[in-house]
Amino acid sequence: MMALSLLPAFEWLQHTYLGETIRHSAALIALLEIVHLIGLALLLGTILMVDLSLLGFGIGRQPVHRIASELNSWTKAGLAIMLISGPLILSSEAVKCYKTPAFWVKMALLAIAIAFYFTIHRRVTLAEQPASRSSQTFVAIASLALWIGVALAGKGIAIFQPV
Amino acid sequence: MFLLSICQWVDSTRLNAFLRQSNWAFPTLDTVHTLGIVLVAGTIMLVDLRLLGLGLRSVPIAQLVARIVPATWWGFGFMLASGGLLFSSEAVKMYHSPAFRIKVVLLALAGLNALIFHRTIYRDAAAWDPASVAPFRARLAGLLSLVFWIAIIAAGRAIAYAPGYDLG
Repeated sequence: MMALSLLPAFEWLQHTYLGETIRHSAALIALLEIVHLIGLALLLGTILMVDLSLLGFGIGRQPVHRIASELNSWTKAGLAIMLISGPLILSSEAVKCYKTPAFWVKMALLAIAIAFYFTIHRRVTLAEQPASRSSQTFVAIASLALWIGVALAGKGIAIFQPV
Repeated sequence: MFLLSICQWVDSTRLNAFLRQSNWAFPTLDTVHTLGIVLVAGTIMLVDLRLLGLGLRSVPIAQLVARIVPATWWGFGFMLASGGLLFSSEAVKMYHSPAFRIKVVLLALAGLNALIFHRTIYRDAAAWDPASVAPFRARLAGLLSLVFWIAIIAAGRAIAYAPGYDLG
């Protein structure tokens, strides 16, 4: 299995100066989790607005592409905040994460969600010509399911014990 | 002290015993609570950013508020219900937690800020709403709201980490 070969990398990460420093400071871990949550709020809040617009619950008569293009940079800001704070939190408990299935579920969902966001989601939401009703609905539901899945799996890392 | 005796009573109820003994109740409530606060903060931040002129500038604020506030209330409902139950599972501990007290005060301040905004400057929104930059008092309300909600998230996390949590 490919995943097995990653254990040394996770062990190395945890034993770096950065990982050790964060692990031994409850204040730093708490701070990083706060930043991570704020990033998530920004990401999910903006994605929710765009996906609700796709589902027909838009803001007044604003076209989807206008809402999407105005929120685009905030979604990316939220994602950037999470992608910086996330690996730092990971470095403090890398081996535990390696042994927790919820972590791998989260990484898989995250990879799919990011790929989906930067390809299909963007194409459908930013197009000035709206896509068909059914593809808009599909894209919105898939997007919401993926991102909420990422959040739930993230919570799962803290809840489920490593195996 | 009065509040302490209420917390002691809460800790003696069957609900408390159930929440403590169940393997799934606390993690489930914790997850609902986190998603609830993400929904509240995520939607409120959009209104705040719009008030500050940092996003959704072409969308009138009244339209944004009309669409987004129902989602905020849903999040708030989930947050309050799950938060109340989480509190019930360790009321005396929460009584002794400085972070919990700070969080309650911050929640009250965030509510007061929103109430004042809606009762005063927002009433005249029709006059200033088309402008991409809102008047000073509206921008101030947006900034305060951002600060309060970020602080509420911080205080919530601190409940689990800050010293004093285990003193109860």
